[in-house]
Amino acid sequence: MSIGAVSIGAASSVRRDLILGGVLIALAILVPLLTGTRYIVTQTTLFFIWAIVVTQWNLVLGVGGIFSLAQMALFAVGAYATAMLGYYFHMPMVLAMLLAGIATVLVSVLIGLACLRLRGPYVALLTLAVAQVMYLLVANDTECFTNPESGCMPLFGGIRGFTRFGDLGFRALFGSKFYVGHYYVGLGLLALATAFSVAIIRGPAGLAFQALRDNPGYAVSRGISRFKYQLWVFGLSAFFTGLAGAFYAVNFAAVGPIVFSISVLLFLLSMIVVGGIGTVWGPLLGAALLMLADEAMREVGDWRDIGLGLILAGFVVLLPKGLAGLRLSWGRRPSQAPGDIPGA
Amino acid sequence: MDVLIQIIASGLTLGAMYAVSTIGLALVYGSLNMLNMAHGALLALGGYVCWYAMATLGLHPLLGVAAAMIVCGAVGLVIYCAAAQPMLGSANFETQIFIATIGIGAIIENVILRLFGPQPTPQPLNLTGALVIGNVHIPHQNLLILGVALGLMAALALLLRHSRLGRAIRATAQNREAAQLMGVRVGFVYAQVLALSGALAAISGIMISSLSGLLPNMGGDPMLKAFIICVVAGLGNVYGAVAAAIVLGLLEAATQYVLGVRYSFAILLLLVIAVLIWRPYGLFGRKQVVRL
Repeated sequence: MSIGAVSIGAASSVRRDLILGGVLIALAILVPLLTGTRYIVTQTTLFFIWAIVVTQWNLVLGVGGIFSLAQMALFAVGAYATAMLGYYFHMPMVLAMLLAGIATVLVSVLIGLACLRLRGPYVALLTLAVAQVMYLLVANDTECFTNPESGCMPLFGGIRGFTRFGDLGFRALFGSKFYVGHYYVGLGLLALATAFSVAIIRGPAGLAFQALRDNPGYAVSRGISRFKYQLWVFGLSAFFTGLAGAFYAVNFAAVGPIVFSISVLLFLLSMIVVGGIGTVWGPLLGAALLMLADEAMREVGDWRDIGLGLILAGFVVLLPKGLAGLRLSWGRRPSQAPGDIPGA
Repeated sequence: MDVLIQIIASGLTLGAMYAVSTIGLALVYGSLNMLNMAHGALLALGGYVCWYAMATLGLHPLLGVAAAMIVCGAVGLVIYCAAAQPMLGSANFETQIFIATIGIGAIIENVILRLFGPQPTPQPLNLTGALVIGNVHIPHQNLLILGVALGLMAALALLLRHSRLGRAIRATAQNREAAQLMGVRVGFVYAQVLALSGALAAISGIMISSLSGLLPNMGGDPMLKAFIICVVAGLGNVYGAVAAAIVLGLLEAATQYVLGVRYSFAILLLLVIAVLIWRPYGLFGRKQVVRL
């Protein structure tokens, strides 16, 4: 296909993305005004957080073709950095969140430099191992770093984690309605993260990866370096992942090693797989659906992880392109259909 | 000197345990290009089935082990039929099967949790007594593990080298299409490989749980270590995996003694990353033929 066709296709896709995004944001702005139920607002805020992580993970996994399982570890870097900056240095939370995002990018680039020279399954195993080591180092830490009245505090908070490291000031501003402030911060972050995801998928980086998939030999001989683009996507997407972690810490006013749990990783991976790997809106759709499914499965508590496992395995086997792929194959054929050799 | 003997003894035991779970993984990856993330859950399942057969049904230990091997082998077959077979031809097979087996692993682990509860349970298949060398006590259990592991590896090597099934597995691993053209029933071979890997996982799970006790999520860490060993050896290389398992077992015992348990996994990982930067396809791995 010619470059012209791609850029025209990309332009109309971007316009469609902008309209859809605008409508969704407008609807989301109305939610707290229409409902007084605190539970709905706080659960939607949690949805925003997971949706940010999932859109960025999707960039790494679906667009960059990097099979990284370190996403929640990066999320944890953001969360812990925020909590530690607040706890040890009493830094204002907005500044701490920004610094946490930058710190996550640095960590991510380090992990990327170590892992990205490898391929597919090697990357998955190595990133999973990195995440596990981080978890073990945090959770098994029992040496006291400081010793306040509340009890021994290890450098990374140990198994208990951090609480009381500051907030965004909404409690002082809105009193008991502070969670509405968090809602809009989450929405804003998600809008930015989605815009970034659109820019990557429809922009030069997305084209480069598309070229590397379609015809790796030609792409490489035209000077497209897979390693370079992968490192860029891996590093940049970590910014919003870290920011999501930072916001998670501030929103719940607590961070603990639970963020490393396999259960959370499974939940988020299911979102991407259900929605559709590599698409702009699939992961968001998947995140929304799985949050709702999770809500429904709350009644049956213990069966939740079994249900998640079934959803994950079932979708991969029966519907590997996710719900977004279903829509595409029913409607018009996607423009890149001919010559699209995924995973080459 | 005593310390050295102690480190070597526990290192060899660790290495032998890792080797048994690693062989299963390496076999499956070598023939199907499939990373079985449900392997950890199979380890736990094997341990629990053996415990259930011995403690609740009162069966002979050998029957307990056999039951565990049969159940885990059957689950391996189910994994093949339900997840791997439908996707075999797909272009993204490696990624998709990885994700699917993560889901299957979660299902198995939580079924175990529902059936047997979250409390740690000791594994009844456990020898008492110890061999004394100088001032060092080496429990008979460790010797048993070492012996079983060595026996299994020898049996597997014989199987791979001399049996019809072994030749079929090696042929399929080398070139699926060519093997198929020569009349090897590839799907049948794959199914057998997964069943075999499940049975090996059962034995390995029984060994691990005899030292550390049973927990529904006990398989996670050994599986990750087994994967790391596979990666160091070069994915799919069975003999390399055994060598790497024993070296890493010794190394882990040594770092645990010198630096404490906390850092042993981190050190292991740093080492692996260093190895992979030096040799991206593992120590014994051949460079894969990839299109750029």
